[in-house]
Amino acid sequence: MINNYYIERTAQAVFTVFAVVTMTFGMIRLMPGGPVSYIRSQLVQQQGNQVDMEQVNALVEVYTNVAPDEPLYIQYIDYMAALLQGDLGVSMFYNDPVTEILASAAPWTVFVMSISLVLTFGLGITLGAVMAYIEGSRFDVSTTLVSIFLNSIPYYVMAIILVYVLGYQFNWFPTGGRISSDVATGMNLAFLQSAFYHAALPIASLVITGFGIQALAMRGNSIRVLGEDYIRVARLRGLPPHDIALRYVGRNAILPMYTGMMIAIGFMFGGSVILEEIFAYPGIGYYMFRGIMARDYPLMMGAFLIITIAVVVGIYVADLTYGKLDPRAGSGGGNREAY
Amino acid sequence: MSKTDDTQTATTAGTGAGTDLSSIRVDDPIVEIRNASVTFDMERGESRVLDEVSLDIERDEILGIVGESGSGKSMFASALLDAIVNPGVLTGDVTYHPQGDAEVDVLGLSPEQLRELRWEEISMVFQGAQSSFNPTITIRAHFEETIEAHNYNMEQAMAHARELLSDLYMDPDRVLDSYPHELSGGMQQRTLIALSLVLEPNVLVMDEPTAALDLLMQRSILSLLEDLQEKYDLSIVFITHDLPLVAGLADRLAVMYAFEFVEIGPASDLIGNPTHPYTRALLKAVPNLDTPLSEMRPIDGMAPDPVDVPQGCSYHPRCPLADETCRAEDPTYHDVTSDHQSACFHWEDSAEAIPLSTDGEHGETQAFAGEQSDEPVVSLEDVDVHFDQVSDGGLLSVFQEPDTVHAVDDISLDVYENDVVTLVGESGCGKTTLGKAVIGAQRPTDGTVAYRGQDIWEAKDSRRETDIPYEHIRRSLQMIHQDPGSSLNPNRKVAASLKAPLKRWEPDMDPDDRQERILSLLEYVGMSPPGDYAQRYPHQLSGGEKQRVALIRALLMNPDVILADEAVSALDVSLRVEVMDLMLELQDLFDTSYVFISHNLSNARYFSGKAGGRIGVMYLGELVEIGPAEQIINDPQHPYTKVLRWSTADLDIEETVEDPPLRGIDIPDPVDPPSGCRFHTRCPEAREACTRAQPTLDGHDDGTEHRTACFREYDESHEYWESEPIVDDADDADVAVGGSDSDARTDE
Ligand code: SF4
Ligand code: SF4
Repeated sequence: MINNYYIERTAQAVFTVFAVVTMTFGMIRLMPGGPVSYIRSQLVQQQGNQVDMEQVNALVEVYTNVAPDEPLYIQYIDYMAALLQGDLGVSMFYNDPVTEILASAAPWTVFVMSISLVLTFGLGITLGAVMAYIEGSRFDVSTTLVSIFLNSIPYYVMAIILVYVLGYQFNWFPTGGRISSDVATGMNLAFLQSAFYHAALPIASLVITGFGIQALAMRGNSIRVLGEDYIRVARLRGLPPHDIALRYVGRNAILPMYTGMMIAIGFMFGGSVILEEIFAYPGIGYYMFRGIMARDYPLMMGAFLIITIAVVVGIYVADLTYGKLDPRAGSGGGNREAY
Repeated sequence: MSKTDDTQTATTAGTGAGTDLSSIRVDDPIVEIRNASVTFDMERGESRVLDEVSLDIERDEILGIVGESGSGKSMFASALLDAIVNPGVLTGDVTYHPQGDAEVDVLGLSPEQLRELRWEEISMVFQGAQSSFNPTITIRAHFEETIEAHNYNMEQAMAHARELLSDLYMDPDRVLDSYPHELSGGMQQRTLIALSLVLEPNVLVMDEPTAALDLLMQRSILSLLEDLQEKYDLSIVFITHDLPLVAGLADRLAVMYAFEFVEIGPASDLIGNPTHPYTRALLKAVPNLDTPLSEMRPIDGMAPDPVDVPQGCSYHPRCPLADETCRAEDPTYHDVTSDHQSACFHWEDSAEAIPLSTDGEHGETQAFAGEQSDEPVVSLEDVDVHFDQVSDGGLLSVFQEPDTVHAVDDISLDVYENDVVTLVGESGCGKTTLGKAVIGAQRPTDGTVAYRGQDIWEAKDSRRETDIPYEHIRRSLQMIHQDPGSSLNPNRKVAASLKAPLKRWEPDMDPDDRQERILSLLEYVGMSPPGDYAQRYPHQLSGGEKQRVALIRALLMNPDVILADEAVSALDVSLRVEVMDLMLELQDLFDTSYVFISHNLSNARYFSGKAGGRIGVMYLGELVEIGPAEQIINDPQHPYTKVLRWSTADLDIEETVEDPPLRGIDIPDPVDPPSGCRFHTRCPEAREACTRAQPTLDGHDDGTEHRTACFREYDESHEYWESEPIVDDADDADVAVGGSDSDARTDE
């Protein structure tokens, strides 16, 4: 039963990635005004009307790994083969292999996103739990209000406000880049400091607008769990309060939030496109945005693919760990009594 | 919590309530409760859910506390551990005597002392075992954290835990490694009992510990409790709404009504000579197997609201003996004998006013039987219902071999006009599925279901005109649910809910006639004034009233058969008889048949017996015995029916709880039912032949209506009589019960 659960989830994840790749292929190949016509028109601009179709096709193949004159299924196989080797084509705008560009950008996006995620949930869960324990107190009421208010602000609005006020007006934070140009790359203190300094605003805009809903969810779950019989029994059994708080209330209240966490992973990576553009922070989202603006199809597709895979993997991991945390998951729900 | 420093006065206290407490004292109390009250502040006023209650619990006794829901009995349980939930306030005194002269003032303890008292000295088992466990940690973790929190020696205590688990007929390793949801309800409840005893407390308070379980499991647990009580010198307080259930178990009984004890006494006295009018009414109201059917009677009126308890004796609005004194004064305890008290002025007259016959003479009971037809209305032939159980609907589950649950296996059954068939069995035996198959709400995987000769599912599927159109069949076969609330639209008034079916089925009816018909029916079922009830919403009705509305709604279709699935189980005990009576009266009026589903043999006997109907006993998807109600009850043939009969407690006090006539407590997995006779894993009569061949209902036709699927009914030539009895493997704790060494407890 348990093994089946893992196999199932893995298959689902692989299938999703596969579907996205196929879709990407279809888009490149079939989209009107796709890369083929784009390259042709570029060449026409450069060389006048004597465009050699062969030359166009060769160029298209170089950039996108798709040879337009081959039959469709060969193109598909070629494209997949290239992908499996980690070859995402060559960026038309930067004229570098897409894989290289994205490989250098990815850690930064992951860096910003994972810190945001940890902070959002850490802050949300702690606050929510505290609010639930002192339900109805002034702290609870005011935090609830603040949470609702902050949660209603879109993250990009918060980002613009932050970058405008703290970046441009006060000059407290940098308005672009991932590290200062005078810091050498490497695992030294100055580098880390600079990296956090540059990532602070993007992280802040995600966390400030994101923690509220998690806090409220945690508060609601905790209050529900606190009313459960097993909490009462645990108290009567004389368990120490911190055991009850962690193993009983905490665990049972956090579990239902896992779904929320999965959604948050997708949401944050999707949001990185706009966020990194606002902060001129060269991560994957930033390159994707550039790719779209410049009609740089290989870059666009590559970034899109990476973001999708990241989301799928995130959800996959969450799914598997959920099975570890909640013994009831994947066991069919125990509805034996139903008939 | 009251910080009383006058613990010593507890023994002499009691003047406040005006009651003389000397009479309720026992020789060697382990817990003394004096003037305990619990109050809640509510908008409507102060709600007093425990009212100046005083009681002693004797060392090493089993004290049964009986009361209907809302009588304050759970509050009493919590009070013993000073565990009233906020914002309730507990006042009075609770004194615990650990050993000899030592005294502990429970309500005056510091939080740390209280923490130690609970579970180490006084422990508690709740109803709903499932919700008493943390669903995300294993059973082992529950035990370990409890032991750790009280600084007991882990190794010794865990060894004790294992011993307790095997005392309760479970495999310790398997249970400890499970998560709560992996255990069946009965196992969860037994595990909870083990958990409450792991620190070797002296007092065990059990609040409706078996209410959610099948009767058979309840009785099995009770018989185990008795063994535990002996073995570990426990004092047990057993709280329940089910008087017959504890009657055989308890040494003393205390009956609660309206937040106080109205009668206290030794169990045999209290059952044999109940003196309080409420106790007598309760005994009459509870369906059981011994009281003649004609004597069972519901209690009129409603239990009082805690905010507004009647002046004087709180029972006077419902009491046939009430007079001026009762209305003005609160009765104190009157001694019936030196250890039997009754809080009633007129206790001496109660026996005359409310006669009870406990001498099992069965009166004539053919009250409601209408003319039954020769031709069946609904006829089932070789019906199978199998469910595929797939773990969950993921991508790969396609490749998985689904588990097949045999909910109903090869059953033939005819339902006649004006018939009453009651199906009984433990949960999961397939009785609901069979019931649904009868009314065409569940498609059989094999076999046929015919309505007056027309195959129901053929009528549904075929496009051609059938002899009887499907619409007509659907309308003729109706259902009422266990939870009447779920079948009534909460946003619709009663009148609207009742009109809808009439409009649909009799569109030509004049609106005034329609209204008239509904009102007269409401009136008929005792909901008057009907105009007022018709304008109410479901949430403004009580459980019994909702069930009546659901019943009327089903009857308005003029159905031939009504499936009543546990229709009275959710109701308070005293209401059950009333609703069943009503159903039978309406049967007479409307000429319908009932298929009544119940896990409770007493209800089955009452319902089927009164209408001269049949009882069918189901086990793991098969019908193992069927016959006229009184025959099934008084002369059960199948070993399983005998077990069920045993599990339905008698009021007979002489009969102490014995070991179940059963070799295993837990039901086998319906996914993989045992070979041969499915009951052979638990049957005390099982022989080797039973594991191979399957007995049938018709294997030994003796021409009567009473048929049994057991080889013991077959004649001597059957191989059963030659084969070896099955002997249990002693190591397999899950199966062996019969060989337990416990002897019946002797009343000291
Ligand atoms: S005191 Fe009066 S009203 Fe109360 S139970 Fe006795 S007779 Fe009935
Ligand atoms: S056939 Fe055998 S196992 Fe089945 S009930 Fe009869 S005696 Fe018991």
